Amino acid sequence: MKYFGGCDVGSTYTKAVILDENGKMVANTTMKSKINAEESARLAMAEVISQVPGLKSERDLAYLIGTGYGRNKVAFADENISEISCHAMGVHVTNPSVKAIIDIGGQDVKGIAIDTDGTVKNFAMNDKCAAGTGRFYEAMARSFEMTLPEFSKLSLTAKNVIPITAQCTVFAESEVITLVGEGKPMDEIAAGIQMAVAKRCFVMAKKAGATDSITLSGGCAKNEGLKAAIEQVLKLKVVELSVDPQLMGALGAAEFARQKGLAKKA
Amino acid sequence: MKDLKYLIEFENLLEDADNRLVREAQEEGGFAIGYTCYHMPEVLLNVDKCFSVRMRAPRTGSIDISTYYMSNYTCEFARALLERGIEGGYQFLDGIAGVDACSAMNRCYEHLEILDCNSKPHFFVTHTDVPYKVEDYNVEQVASQMRLRVLDVMKERLGVDVSDEAIRKAVEEHNEMCRIMTEIGDMRKLDNPPVTGYEYHVLCLVSYCCPTAKILPYLRETLEEIKKRALDPKPWYRARVAVVGSEIDDLGFTKLLEENGAFVVADRFCYGSIPGREVIELNDTEDVVIQIARHYMKTSECPRYMADYKVAQRRTTVDRIAREYKADGIIYEAMKYCDFWAFERPLASHILTEEYGWPTLSVDRSYAVRSSGQLRTRFQAFVEALEIKRIQKQKEA
Repeated sequence: MKYFGGCDVGSTYTKAVILDENGKMVANTTMKSKINAEESARLAMAEVISQVPGLKSERDLAYLIGTGYGRNKVAFADENISEISCHAMGVHVTNPSVKAIIDIGGQDVKGIAIDTDGTVKNFAMNDKCAAGTGRFYEAMARSFEMTLPEFSKLSLTAKNVIPITAQCTVFAESEVITLVGEGKPMDEIAAGIQMAVAKRCFVMAKKAGATDSITLSGGCAKNEGLKAAIEQVLKLKVVELSVDPQLMGALGAAEFARQKGLAKKA
Repeated sequence: MKDLKYLIEFENLLEDADNRLVREAQEEGGFAIGYTCYHMPEVLLNVDKCFSVRMRAPRTGSIDISTYYMSNYTCEFARALLERGIEGGYQFLDGIAGVDACSAMNRCYEHLEILDCNSKPHFFVTHTDVPYKVEDYNVEQVASQMRLRVLDVMKERLGVDVSDEAIRKAVEEHNEMCRIMTEIGDMRKLDNPPVTGYEYHVLCLVSYCCPTAKILPYLRETLEEIKKRALDPKPWYRARVAVVGSEIDDLGFTKLLEENGAFVVADRFCYGSIPGREVIELNDTEDVVIQIARHYMKTSECPRYMADYKVAQRRTTVDRIAREYKADGIIYEAMKYCDFWAFERPLASHILTEEYGWPTLSVDRSYAVRSSGQLRTRFQAFVEALEIKRIQKQKEA
């Protein structure tokens, strides 16, 4: 049996996936990224390789593709592919009926429309600013003195939404501190934050041409409060994926590796 | 392919606004006239001892001081120029020929003057009006502005010859440079071209930023070198793109694109060659300045022209060059807070996609892109999408 790898070196988390020849996921991992992207990639690959009997190092993989923010630093990969293409492919192999993705990673938000073959039809992406991304949520959770999972659920109990005007991490933190100081309910402030980010996601999804059958990927896809807010602004239910949405980039990279590796063999 | 003989020399010339050739020309008694926009005919700044220098802001770091004067929400190009001016980067200029094309650049010129960014006693900043339409009466008005506010000012301040004869001589030299640039540029239409988009961008920028007479010998030699250049067996690129939009004098932008496999086949942006490097045809009967004004106004693809026929011209031009240069897709780019491209970019890219069927990528960007991870990802994803579509088409065929 031949194995194929995908390594998604994100700005906050590094993910790796190994697929067998039939496209079955046989190993995966998600770990906090190190400052050195190459080291992150090595650690993640070592972890997934240890999960597959018979594999000793990344050299035993038939094909390996790097993706994500640090994709150029996966020195041992056969090639690198942008995370936009990889997320599209990862979601497509997980659920071919999905037509669009809102990918919220550590430092960017992307809207991606998927073609029927899993390739990218269109996409939109934020510029330099990391507003409304994983980094933003980390700062917000810190302001609330909560863990990310705790913060992500906080808005679900809110009866009202207190609008947050700033999405810049620095300004939003200051606005939140002011609102907390005024004694406003924490869950309602959290609902305001989720709504502000959801609106940004709405823009990205619409810019990419997304209309229906939309799913979420990336680490922030696990944020329940954000998911609820996105469903509210998009006026539709987002498609649940059967595989961890944070793994979509690595899974797509591994699927590309599988296709390319098998084509090379043929 | 082997590196071009003068590539590093050209890159070095672009590291400073007052580069070696500018300094040489000034030491020989020449006057450097800065300008920023295609609306200002560069040939008119190349009469007699004057030579044009299209202004750039190489080595720009923080633009905080200019932001203080001009506010956050103004074009970063204009702010970067002002910042360099405040830092003393344009002390070498003998004059600036500005155009009332956009308010941000007007404010930049105004501050360069008010803040005494140049201490030469004869230094001047002059402005000319730019119309929104191209009609005969506008052409006459622009020509009259060029005489009154540019040529007469140069004569008065610098004592140079601005006669029709001097202008015609400048046009001849300009035309030779344009013929060379066009011949090199046309090679980008080939499937396996002997020049990259990055190299062409370098050549184009040196042709704008160095005295024409000084750069011409280098360009002549480079043309001959490119004609004989040994090619790699296979083209190096993954997709061919036409780049359309506002000012790009940042080589990092083209470099980033080509590092991701996108060969920039056509440069339809300010400081590019389309338009900019077309020969100016002059007859012997009509006033020479009117003919030059008409040439620049008709060939201009600036979204400041708001007449319907100019809007249509811009779209058909992009479609035509994309076909001529065999592009797989089009990248529309706009400098952040550029007044005119802020409207043109989203609308035109949508129309080129929906009505003309071109895959497009629309990006807004900072003056210097440097190590923008997001832009790298967008470029790479666009190239991957174009490449996959092309492979699928080939399979279907």
